[in-house]
This record gives sequence, C-alpha cells and structure tokens, in this order.
Amino acid sequence: MLLFMLLNVCTVGGSYFTQIELNMMTKSSDVVKNDIKNNLNPFNIFKTHKTSPLTLGLYSWNFGGGVQSYFLFLKFLVILNFVSFLLIGGFVLIPSIVFNSLGEPPKLESSGNCTIYEPNPQGLVVFYEYFLHLLSGTGFIEYSYMFYGYYDNTVVEDSSFSYNIPVAYLSTAVFYFAFCEYLLISRMGKATRVAVTTGGSDVSNYSLIVFTGWDFGCLGGKATKLKQRNIYYRLQVDLEEERLKKHAASLTMCKKVTLYSLRVLSFFVALGLVAAACYSIFEATKFSQDNSDKEGILGLIYEYLPSIVITAGNFLVPLLCDQLALLEKYSPSSTVIVALLRAVILRLASLCILLFTLWDQITCKGNQNDDECNECHYNYQEYPCWETRVGQEMYKLTLFDLLVNIALLVLVEFPRRMVVDNTSCKLSQWVGRQEFVVPSNVLGLVYGQTVVWTGALFCPLLPLLNTAKFVILFYCKKITLFYNCRPALRTFRSTSSSFFFLAVLLFGWIIALVVMIYSVAVMHPSQACGPFRSFDNMWQIVPNSTYYLPDVTKEFIFFIGSQAFSVPLSALSCVVMCYVIALASIHGRSVVMLKAQLKLVCLSFFFIYNQMFNSFSCLMQPICYP
Amino acid sequence: MGTTASHLDKEALSEYQVNVLHKLLKKKSCAHRKFRELQNKEERSNTTSRVPMERINELPELKSNPFKERICHVFSTSENKDGSLTFEDFLDLLSAFSDSATLEIKSHYAFRIFDFDDDGTLDYDDLKKLVNCLTGESEDTRLNDDEMKQLITNILEESDIDKDGTVNLSEFQHVISRSPDFVSSFKIVL
Repeated sequence: MLLFMLLNVCTVGGSYFTQIELNMMTKSSDVVKNDIKNNLNPFNIFKTHKTSPLTLGLYSWNFGGGVQSYFLFLKFLVILNFVSFLLIGGFVLIPSIVFNSLGEPPKLESSGNCTIYEPNPQGLVVFYEYFLHLLSGTGFIEYSYMFYGYYDNTVVEDSSFSYNIPVAYLSTAVFYFAFCEYLLISRMGKATRVAVTTGGSDVSNYSLIVFTGWDFGCLGGKATKLKQRNIYYRLQVDLEEERLKKHAASLTMCKKVTLYSLRVLSFFVALGLVAAACYSIFEATKFSQDNSDKEGILGLIYEYLPSIVITAGNFLVPLLCDQLALLEKYSPSSTVIVALLRAVILRLASLCILLFTLWDQITCKGNQNDDECNECHYNYQEYPCWETRVGQEMYKLTLFDLLVNIALLVLVEFPRRMVVDNTSCKLSQWVGRQEFVVPSNVLGLVYGQTVVWTGALFCPLLPLLNTAKFVILFYCKKITLFYNCRPALRTFRSTSSSFFFLAVLLFGWIIALVVMIYSVAVMHPSQACGPFRSFDNMWQIVPNSTYYLPDVTKEFIFFIGSQAFSVPLSALSCVVMCYVIALASIHGRSVVMLKAQLKLVCLSFFFIYNQMFNSFSCLMQPICYP
Repeated sequence: MGTTASHLDKEALSEYQVNVLHKLLKKKSCAHRKFRELQNKEERSNTTSRVPMERINELPELKSNPFKERICHVFSTSENKDGSLTFEDFLDLLSAFSDSATLEIKSHYAFRIFDFDDDGTLDYDDLKKLVNCLTGESEDTRLNDDEMKQLITNILEESDIDKDGTVNLSEFQHVISRSPDFVSSFKIVL
C-alpha cells in the first residue's frame, strides 16, 4: 500500500511536469515561464488572485471558467482562514500561552460536583493511541490549546497593563464573525456589480461566441479539437435551452398539468430523502455520543460515525436526486440550479441536525428540571466540558473531510485514470476519465467553512487547521485536475454561479452565527473548564467588565444597548437599504436603456452611411479588395 | 533647468526609440528566419519569391488552425489567388496577429478571414462555413441543419442591425467591441 502510494507520488511528480508542459505549449515562451514559476511556487497561495491571473488562466483555458472560479474561491477562503487565525492567535492564544508560562493557572475551585474535569488518561498510554487521540480530538489534544477547555479565566491586572482573557476570547469570536461577514459581503458586492452591468449571464450571446470564440493561439491538433468540442457543446446547450423554452411554452394544458404534478411529486420525494438522511444522522450522533468511551479502532469508528453518515448521505442523496431530475424535464441550466439547491439544503440540514442532536444531549432536550441536568444546568455526567465536546465534533468533521478527499484522490481517481488509459475494454472507455465537477466541489468548500465557523468558538485553533486543510486541498485538486481529469465538455457558467456560491456561504455564516449567539447568550457554560466557568452565560462577562470602566464610557455603552438607540438605528438602516436597492435598480435599468440607445445610434449611422454610399460609391469604400 | 530637462527627455526618448526599433528588428529577423526555412534553395536567392500556401500551412502555429487557408488567402497579394505569400505578406500577417495591432486592425482582418466568399459581407453561407470551422469537421461535432438554421437566425437577429440579412464590417466590429478577450485571442506568436 505504501509502495503504491510512493509510486503514485513519483509518477505524479514526473508526469505532472510533462502535463504542464504539454498544456502550456499553446502559450508563448514568456507566458510559459511565468506560468511555471507561479505553479511551482508553494507560497503562491498567499498571493491574491489579482497577481497571478496567468496560473488561473491556465485552468480556465483548459477546463473552462468554472474551474477557475473554484480555485479563486478556494484562495479567498485560505486567506480568510489565515487572517482569522492571526486574529485569534494574537488576542487569545499568545496571551494565554504567555500568562500560563509566567504564572500559575488559577486552581479549579472544587465547589460541588460540577467542577471536576479530568481529560487526561491515567496510566501508561500505548504509542498508537497518540495517533488515535490525534484523529479523534481526545487524550493529549483534548486538554490543549486546541479546545476551549484548556483556556483559563485569567485576569491580569497590573498598574500599567491589564488583560482579561474571557473578554478577549468573547470579543475575538465576535470580531472574527464580523470580519468574515465584511469580507463576504464585499465580495458579493463585486459579483453583483458585475451581474448588474453585464445584465446577467442568462442572455446567451450567440454572435459573441461565434465571432470571438476562437483562440488563434491554439497549438496542436489535440488542443484545437478540444476547443472545437467546447464550442460545439456550448452552442448545443444554448440552442437546446432555447428549444426547450419554446417547447414548454407550447405545451397543452393536460401535458402541463402532468408535468407540474410530476415536479411536485419529485419535490416531496427529494424532501423525503433529505429527511431520511437527517434522521440517520440523528441516530448515528446519539449512538456515537452514547458509546464515546470505547477504546481502540472500534472506538475511533464510533467517534467518526456522525461524519461517516454525513459524508455518505452527501454522496448518495444527490445521486438519487439526479435520477429524479430526469423525470422533471427542466431546462439544462435550471436542472443544475435545482440540483445545487438540493445539495446545499442537504449539507446544511445535516450540519444543523448534528448540532441539534448535540444540544439535545447536552441540555437534556432543553429541560433544566430533568434529573441529569438539574444540578449543573447541563448534562454534567456525560459532558463535564461540553464546549470541548462540540469543538471535538467540528474538529472531527474537518479532519474527516480532508481524509476523505485525499483517500478519494489516491484510491479512486489515480487508479481510474490508470485503468482508463491502459485498458481498452469498452467498459473503461464508457466510464472514461474523471470530470472535474465544479458545483459539488464548491459546495464541499462551503460546507467545510461553515463547520469551521460553527466550531471556532469552541476550538480556537480550527481556523489554522482549516488553512492547512485548504492549502493541502488546493494542491491535491490541482494535481487531480491536470493529471486525472479530462476537460469538461460542458463548461460551467461561472459569472452567475459565483454569486450563488457566495450566497450559500453567507447562509452558512448565518447558521454559524445563530449557533454562536445561542451558545453565548442562552447556554450555561461548563463549570469545570474554560474561561467562562464562573458565569451563568458567556455574555455575562460583558456587563460585568463594564463596571470597571469610567462613568462616561459606561453611560455611552448602556445607551447604545438600550432601545432608545437601537430602534432609530434600525429605522435608519432600513431607509439606507431602500435607497441602495432603488439605486441598484436604477443602474440596472439605465444599462438596459443605454444598450437600446447604442442600437438606435448604430441604426441611424447606417442609414446615413448607406445614403452616402449610394451617392459616392467607390470613394467612400474604406477597404479595397484585391 | 528647462533645457537640461528637455535634453534629458530627448535622450531618454531616443533610448526608448532605439529599444523599440531593436525589438522590431529582432522580431523581423525572427520572422525572416522562419520564412527562409519555408523557402527552398532557389527561392531564397529571389527576394520577391512566393511561398505556396501548402508550405505556409505547415508552420506549427497554423497547422491545426481551421482558418489556415482563409488566413493565407486574406494576406496573399498574388494575382492568381492561390494563397501564396511573399515576405512582405508574411510580415503583414504577423503584424496583424501581434500584440501591437489595434482592435480595429484585428477586427478588420478577422472580418476578412470569416468572409469566405470575399463579397464584403457575412451572409448565411459564410456564417454556416464559419460555424462548421469552429465546431470541427467531423460528423459528431457538426450541428445538424435545424440547429444551424436556428443558430444563424439568432446570430443575424442579434448582430444584423440594418436587417439586410447579412453582417457587414461595422456590425461585426460592434459585436467585437463588446468582447474583452478578442484582442488576446486573435494572436499568433512565433
């Protein structure tokens, strides 16, 4: 197995270069040199996409614009995660490390049964167990800077310097969310601006494709054939959509009714499939939480059971829904959108179910008078430090996602390419090489980022882990793209889709925000661990710390929090929003009007030109044909 | 102060001019070398000799280009319209396809390349031949007749502004001006 992997890596290294060279043959030598420099620089990842369009141009030329948008999106997420980690590291991690090394951590006040927390296993630990602990987030990792439980409620008060770790922890989490939202909204704004000025990409412009579609720099028979097939499929898809629209408009009443009832039926079937997946995730999470004390490999499998079920559901349900889509007979672009929506709902619903199940177990279904939750306001027996447990689930989801991607690359995509290239039986030719499917890959990224946002409050180092994960994913996907994938024959429309993916990411952000607000404002923090152990809820630290501020600041802050300020503020923001929406619609309309005006000007120009041409024929002719 | 500044500017300007000239000469000599490779021994001695179209089309940059015959015909100045090129014609070709050519020049030559019957407009047959070149000549990548008709009707609807059933140069240039990638895709570099 190891030898096979080593062999893979060597062949990848060897043929990766030749593949790059082959693909770059069509560009001039300067462009080629630049591309090689950009491709092989491992720190290229930290350059913004503005500085390396050539690398990404290579992807778009070969594989279509959709692939380029995927890699741009991935780069954006890497930068987002890295900057978030710098934030968390600077304000929470480093002060914690410094204060821990300088002074003794405050002793745990053992007042009552709720404050005992012993995450470190007693006695000798077998060596391979370290590896198991690393994968499951338990053992030596559990009581470390990775998770919430290790941080203390250290408050340093010197004459010249004071630092309150709990306040820093909370405000860093809040600021992290605000910062991510700002980046997301500004990126969405750019995408919307492009969509408004170009009037959207639904308008398929045949003349533009035909007159400007050919790249005269294409070198080689293979590249030319590829480009020709690309153009052919593009034209075919557009023509087919137009025909389907005309056909749909011309259906009889009876046929329309059958079609719509079929669509409603398949909607309910899809909903049923999603509900079944959610129920299985619920059961798997409960089972995993109940059997969390098993040791060894079996214990590891039980720990990863929710992640396994989620991944299996995310793979199977879209496959089944694709079969449903054959019945629905939507136009090709609508089919893609419907499939994407279903996949998005499935992924976010599965994450929500996982979180709901955890909440269910931790707070005894929200019933504080239950036997188990009576004493400590949460299920202390099972969850002495519930925040760490939630953080562990998110950590496992992230890790499992990365492992599955690498496993797929090594165990499925490479062998598939080898089988398809080296055997000539009909089955292998029919199956063919892997195609790089952009939408499902982007949804994977969105899902991974939502998991990280949800878990960041409970697992502060998760953004760093995610940065590393996305960097590894970048190179893995790049290798698989150039080595294993054939260029997609049907290219994916990237302009409208980038807005859609950002919208889904925003929705994931909102889910994570709801989780954070609930955990901060409602749930009782663990009394045995963490920086908020002595409070009734995490938010309480903020009013408590304002007591030490000077009076003026206190008055100001209380005023901001009161209704006298927030009601006028929300009214004002509604007004601003209406103004901006009106402005956007006006700009859109003026673009349409300008286009019509341009046509009118051209018409009048041609009228005048034709009149002049008829009067002075050969003198006005700008081109003399030989 | 003023005179020294303008004197410096002149020097800097002439250095720039020398650089540009140097680059142009280098490009021209590179083109000349390539052209000489295409010629055989007798033709090399004659400065106004023509290289036949078949040999031009063996250049790797043009070999698999579906428009290679049209390109040779457009830039050829021979009387018997056989697509043969002299060195001047070859230079014209390279300059039209180079970075320094403007959008107007490129769109003008693109129009002439796509005008298969050389009548100054793109009519139904020209557009049909153009689409066939774009999608490939093999049977499985050709659009069928209905699709072709639908496509060309759509193209004419979008770009034929004076509604005469053909696309003339100005209408063509109007379409081209909306594409940001045209200048970079209409490029051949030796």
